[in-house]
Amino acid sequence: MTDDVAVRVDHVSKSFRLYHERNQTIKSAIMRGRTSVHEDFWALKDVTFDVPRGSTFGLIGSNGSGKSTLLKCLANIYFPNKGTIEHFGKIAAMLEVGSGFHTELSGRENIFLNGSILGMSKKEIASKYDEIVAFSGVEQFIDQPVKNYSSGMYVRLGFAIAINVDPDILVVDEVLAVGDAEFQAKCFTKFRDLRAAGKTVILVSHSMATVKEMCDQAAWINHGELMTVGPAADTIQAYEKSLTGGPEG
Amino acid sequence: MRYLKEVFAARELLANLTLREIRGKYKRTVFGQLWSLANPLALTLIYTFVFGFIFRVPLEPGDPSGLKVFALWLLCGLLPWTFFANVVNLGLGSLVANANLIQKVYFTRVVLPLSIVGSSAYNWLFEMGVLLVVLTIAGAFVLPWIPLLIVIMILLMVFAAGVALMLSIANVYFRDTQYFLSIVLQIWMYLTPIIYPLSLVEAESDKLGGLFGTSITVADVYGLNPMVHFVNVFRQLLYDNRWPDLNEWLICLAWAVGSLVLGLIVFRRNEKRLAEVL
Repeated sequence: MTDDVAVRVDHVSKSFRLYHERNQTIKSAIMRGRTSVHEDFWALKDVTFDVPRGSTFGLIGSNGSGKSTLLKCLANIYFPNKGTIEHFGKIAAMLEVGSGFHTELSGRENIFLNGSILGMSKKEIASKYDEIVAFSGVEQFIDQPVKNYSSGMYVRLGFAIAINVDPDILVVDEVLAVGDAEFQAKCFTKFRDLRAAGKTVILVSHSMATVKEMCDQAAWINHGELMTVGPAADTIQAYEKSLTGGPEG
Repeated sequence: MRYLKEVFAARELLANLTLREIRGKYKRTVFGQLWSLANPLALTLIYTFVFGFIFRVPLEPGDPSGLKVFALWLLCGLLPWTFFANVVNLGLGSLVANANLIQKVYFTRVVLPLSIVGSSAYNWLFEMGVLLVVLTIAGAFVLPWIPLLIVIMILLMVFAAGVALMLSIANVYFRDTQYFLSIVLQIWMYLTPIIYPLSLVEAESDKLGGLFGTSITVADVYGLNPMVHFVNVFRQLLYDNRWPDLNEWLICLAWAVGSLVLGLIVFRRNEKRLAEVL
């Protein structure tokens, strides 16, 4: 079984604290014997599904449905309160491109810095350096400090690094909405290549068109609960029906 | 043990983050790395004027080096102290400063405070190198003591790293920590024999005898400060050119190991929740 599974999400629940008062000062901690008053808010409730190996898996749902929380759990940034998430293979997450860039450093220096933050070794980065630069299309400015980059160049460089981490499982937040049409086309091609190479891609998107085009599998999450999971077309249909049909959405 | 392996596996990332700190720090300055010397130099001028010239702090010649220069004597204690204070100060803010990174990418968080230790150590090494040259010109025979100097430098780095790990976590929960720390560091510095010799404290302590009818003296309480022992060892190696008491070595070692172990335990306990709490 496990041969066909890339990520196993097993009864995952995640709660956040909603603070009614939050005192991050020592004074209040000592004076009142507590740092905060809070109640728990369950962003994810008992979510269970498998992501098949080699699939492109879409996570859909309305704003505040818990998609991003789930994605952060998948990326090891949050840790679920209950349940487990198992990864079978090397995972890389692209929740925001270009985080960790040092604006005073050059593009070249930032490639090495960012690559190692994403878990690449120096050798790997060196061997992929040309590919990263070519993909980002900032060859001319690679030795300039990134603070002089246009926002598009900044994002393209960040994306080029992340996509070249060469993970078995790639987790992507809505970063596809960046760059011009030409760069987006490039990204889609790259995702298709990844899928052809047997890699698993998990992505979150609000654009049903993107999900329809890219994904073969999808899960719909609503208010922290998993509604349906399965072939992308069916899941999208169910989701869209709920938007137009029921007032409770 | 597995945690240590994970930290070890992230050594390349640690090196890169350290380089980021080093390279980014003096970017767009004309004097670059020389700025690292400006602060200790200014402090030396001030303290030498006030305590060496006006107050005339009694200075014993280095035994057996024979040196008798207040400024050099001061620097042998001041440079390790400023390194320690830098690591603790910057390390404390390292998690909050990189909140954005922590919330977006997974990596071994411990490299953030540790990269501060690395970049501060780089500057410190530069300063100590200059000091060694000056000491040699002044007539101290420091060369044979360099291996031991490296050992005590590593011990101080380890000690500072442990403190920085603990405080960086504390600062995530209580932002007061950073303001509190700047006061503590000032008091701490004056409780460490940097601008006055340890012998003065011992002399006063002998005069006073046991405190409140016990056999505990002021010097005993004073000795609870680990930096007293670190500065003592640094000064004996650099200024006196003499083998420090084995006891002093052991105290430094114990503080270093204790601090790092505690720091790692505290850090590890809280590491997973950082992305939410920040």
